[in-house]
Amino acid sequence: MSNILTVLIFFPLIAAIFGFMVNQKSIRVYGITVAAAEFLLSLWLWASFDSTNPGMQFVEQLSLIPQFGISYYLGVDGISLFIVIMSTLMTLIGIIALSVKDDIKNMIITLLFLEVAMIGVFVSLDVILFYVFWEFSLVPMLYVIGAWGGNLRLYASIKFFIYTFAGSLVMLIGMLYMAFIYHSTTGVWSFSLTDWYSLILPFDVQKYLFLAFFLGFAIKVPMFPFHTWLPYAHGQAPTVGSVILAAVLLKMGTYGFVRFSLPLFPDASVAYILPVGIIAVIMIIYTAMIAYAQKDIKQVIAYSSISHMGVIVLGTFAMNTEGIAGSVFLMLSHGIVSGALFLLVGVIYDRKHTKIMSEFGGLAKSMPNFAVVFGVMTMAAVGLPLTIGFIGEYLSLAGFFKVSPTLTVLGGTSIILGAAYMLKALKNTFFGPITNPENENLPDLDAKELTALIPLVAIVIWLGIYPKPVLGPIDTTTKALVQMMHNKAQTKEAKATILVSKPKKEAK
Amino acid sequence: MEKYLYIALFAPFVSSLFSALFAQQKKMQFVGIVAPILIGISLMSSLLLLSHVHESGEAVRANLMDWIVVGDMNITFGFAVDQVTAVMMVVVTTVSTVVHIYSNYYMDHDISFNRFFSYLSAFVFSMMILVMSDNFLGLFIGWEGVGVCSWLLIGFWYHKKDESKDVNPSVSPSWAANEAFIVNRIADLGMLVGIFLIYWNLGTLTYTEVFAQLGTLDHTLLVWIGITLFIGAMGKSAQFPLHTWLTDAMEGPTPVSALIHAATMVTAGVYLVIRANPLYSQIPEVSYGIALLGTFVAIFAASMALVNRDLKRIVAYSTLSQLGYMFAAAGLGAYWIALFHLAAHAFFKALLFLGAGNVMHAMHDELDIFKMGGLKKKMFWSFLMMGLASLALAGIYPLAGFFSKDAILEAAFNEHTYGIWFVLWLTAGLTAFYSFRQVFIVFLGDERYHEIGAHPHEAKPYALWAMSVLAVLAVIFGWFREDFMEFITKFLPAYEMSEHTHHMVWILTIVTTAIAVTGILVAFFKYSKKLNRSEKTENSFAYKLLYNQYYIPHFYEKAITKPYAELSEIAWQELDMKVVDATVDGIAKTIESSGDVSRRAQDGNLSSYLKWMTAGFVLITIIAVISVVIK
Repeated sequence: MSNILTVLIFFPLIAAIFGFMVNQKSIRVYGITVAAAEFLLSLWLWASFDSTNPGMQFVEQLSLIPQFGISYYLGVDGISLFIVIMSTLMTLIGIIALSVKDDIKNMIITLLFLEVAMIGVFVSLDVILFYVFWEFSLVPMLYVIGAWGGNLRLYASIKFFIYTFAGSLVMLIGMLYMAFIYHSTTGVWSFSLTDWYSLILPFDVQKYLFLAFFLGFAIKVPMFPFHTWLPYAHGQAPTVGSVILAAVLLKMGTYGFVRFSLPLFPDASVAYILPVGIIAVIMIIYTAMIAYAQKDIKQVIAYSSISHMGVIVLGTFAMNTEGIAGSVFLMLSHGIVSGALFLLVGVIYDRKHTKIMSEFGGLAKSMPNFAVVFGVMTMAAVGLPLTIGFIGEYLSLAGFFKVSPTLTVLGGTSIILGAAYMLKALKNTFFGPITNPENENLPDLDAKELTALIPLVAIVIWLGIYPKPVLGPIDTTTKALVQMMHNKAQTKEAKATILVSKPKKEAK
Repeated sequence: MEKYLYIALFAPFVSSLFSALFAQQKKMQFVGIVAPILIGISLMSSLLLLSHVHESGEAVRANLMDWIVVGDMNITFGFAVDQVTAVMMVVVTTVSTVVHIYSNYYMDHDISFNRFFSYLSAFVFSMMILVMSDNFLGLFIGWEGVGVCSWLLIGFWYHKKDESKDVNPSVSPSWAANEAFIVNRIADLGMLVGIFLIYWNLGTLTYTEVFAQLGTLDHTLLVWIGITLFIGAMGKSAQFPLHTWLTDAMEGPTPVSALIHAATMVTAGVYLVIRANPLYSQIPEVSYGIALLGTFVAIFAASMALVNRDLKRIVAYSTLSQLGYMFAAAGLGAYWIALFHLAAHAFFKALLFLGAGNVMHAMHDELDIFKMGGLKKKMFWSFLMMGLASLALAGIYPLAGFFSKDAILEAAFNEHTYGIWFVLWLTAGLTAFYSFRQVFIVFLGDERYHEIGAHPHEAKPYALWAMSVLAVLAVIFGWFREDFMEFITKFLPAYEMSEHTHHMVWILTIVTTAIAVTGILVAFFKYSKKLNRSEKTENSFAYKLLYNQYYIPHFYEKAITKPYAELSEIAWQELDMKVVDATVDGIAKTIESSGDVSRRAQDGNLSSYLKWMTAGFVLITIIAVISVVIK
């Protein structure tokens, strides 16, 4: 199957359209089947992926508007492969755990459309195509928050839409300018990313383009001070919306750094390490503190997401294989862990219709399985070794240490502050005596919830102990990426900072 | 031999998983039997490995699989059992086996009996990873693993509610657990930085490779590595100023205190310094700092133990104090002596805690020693064993503590660091005093327990038999000092006493024993008949200062915990909501209202359109004229 990527994009799209014809009763089964099939397809993609090849695989190219060099151009490498798999996995899990009562049919169709957009973003190699999917992803999410959200859902969804859209427009201008430069240097129009990679830009041009792209990505991540849309979006979104948002949509921003900013503008990326690092450190510490102050457990997780994204940004700008590969791995692990935590918050919200921690306390007694899963995910979130959370965090910090020890130590406070807010939330929710008699007989996790959560627990432990199957391909591609950046770098500073790994030693 | 390495490592893991299967069910007696057997198997394997290492003099190595392979980083699950590791393994598994058996008695009526064994065995597994790993990141796995198990076990009785600090200085089990975890995390950041420094400068994290290349690094860098790794050690071993969590950790069940917070986990920091001896011997200034800090902690903790009334906290302070001794020895370069004291201490301190557990059971979980007294009649064996443990702790001949502590004092004398020697010597006296103050108040004197309606009883025989293993070791372990030295110095640097010290040994021994005996005698005369309390002393400034732990927990609360919470609140409410988010909304509102204003331009009134048109025409004309003029 050489056009598996096309299948991956269009299968959920067609399934979503057909979904309109499925009746309300069978739509859940339909949705799960489609999402499961899509997930299996993505696993098949992994199985036939060549881990030793650092470049793009399963490439498809079809010219769309030849006058402007716009084409339908797809491909995956070690970096995007696992983000694609995570997207299909989290969509599947989200649909399994779906607990909305009203209009479940439209919800499932919306989620399938969202899946199309997510996969599209991560496999597009044509910049216009990428941009189309990037913007398209806003629509289903707008709908999920606006239609199924809480009391402030309209405010939250519009804020989410306009804020990220505004950033994207600046990015679009950057993209068009980039294409213009490509045209004026080579004489041909092209929006192909791989063509753009070969272009070496003057440092001044790089700086402006870097900033244009940066704004689009930074709002998506979201980086301080562009983060305030996220707490509203999470606060209002239904559980499944938060899961997808935290697990996948935020990763589009950091993925953009790795896919665009670093390889296209290596000199500018190196030049901006310090400001970006400072922003990342601020966002790590500042949002960790805000998370500590929250009364609402969902907001704790929401702010903790921002804090962890700060560590990912640090890793990305480490400019060495350890850091960048670590940040890609952390994107995956944060997706799994924060997705699971939002699911867990949803569990408790379904039972009590509140997310305020003071309403709980002592839940470990009435809901022991729930407490165990929450505990495992908490430990993964605070980066305990042998859980998935440690590897990415460790590598990101280790990588950035090479660039700036001071900022790394400041950013490393993440492991302290993260433990502080997570353990506080855990204590307030699960420990102590049961103060509210209503909580005494809360039902523990049911079959549906266990089906959604157990695979995530398994992944958290499996990849924590044996990350090689995932880390290997990421490593291979990242090494090539770093090599390319090093080769392209013009300034002395960039040459010295972008650290190429030694060729692989013989296996001992 | 590789086989035994894996058995020693994974038997506790199997035990933990097995117990976890029944974690949410009511007590199952077989869990309490299977778990100690599996830990016992681990002990047997450890002993086999010890004897193998002893005979061959070679380390046993094994490589399980790759873990993190990225860029130039190549980290495997590698294990190495050398002399130091073998000793640590035997100490850990010995105490663990005893504690596992004893827990059957102590946790008998607990509804979470099975869960307890699961956590306890998971701890042993983590500790084994910690001591068996052949690289720094493997050590870090164990390091964090024991931290989590400690968190789980301190907060084992999670259902208890928060009290004010005056009622319960530890607030609640879950509070104490979080405190322990977070304080340790502060130290772990230091350790991670040390690991990063090693990685980026040497390109490897494996002990043997790192220590072989140390010579290539410049001195400043070595100092930084030494300091950052030691910060990690300070957290686990609860050295000042990161010490407050240890006494609060006494909220956990007593077998936990015996195993984790006395014998094993808290000595991980000492283990790290011993393990990294090739590094620390190259940076004498850092080592000297370690020795000074250890000495300070020794007397600092002992002073707080003098006045405390809480059965377990007294023992916790003495643990802290003894850890100080170990760091003093390691800092002075007497690594093998530090390890020797570590092992001896593990035996007698675990024994002391288990004895305290017996007393707590007899007294229905009462911890105030002033409410006890005269328990000897009802609990002779517990009295005997706690007495033995206290004698060992006080360093009385011929018990274990005599040999190990004496060696530390000799080393301090030998290094001509007489200040350190003097403080440690003085602390030896304080140690003897507070240990026997506790023993005499609890077991001798008038029977005050009637007032609280307690009916004390001796522990079950099997619990006492389990304890007797430790009692025997607390007595005889010191006799093997020469053998131990010979064995361990094949790996650790030998520590030679100078001629001068050799001549002085007898005098030093007599002086040290004298102050210890004095301490015991003072305690005897003061407390053996009845509890002598004086209002005046108890209201004095010094007493209150000591009783309130020099007000350090209060200070932390006021200077760190509270301001952090307040600052967080401000960051959220004032900064994030009112500045950052308000700016975003402000921009959006400005755009909206400007649109609102300009909308009036399109009101559908033809005459106003004409006015705008005229105005526009005039404006453009003016601009055109000006631009022409300028050109």
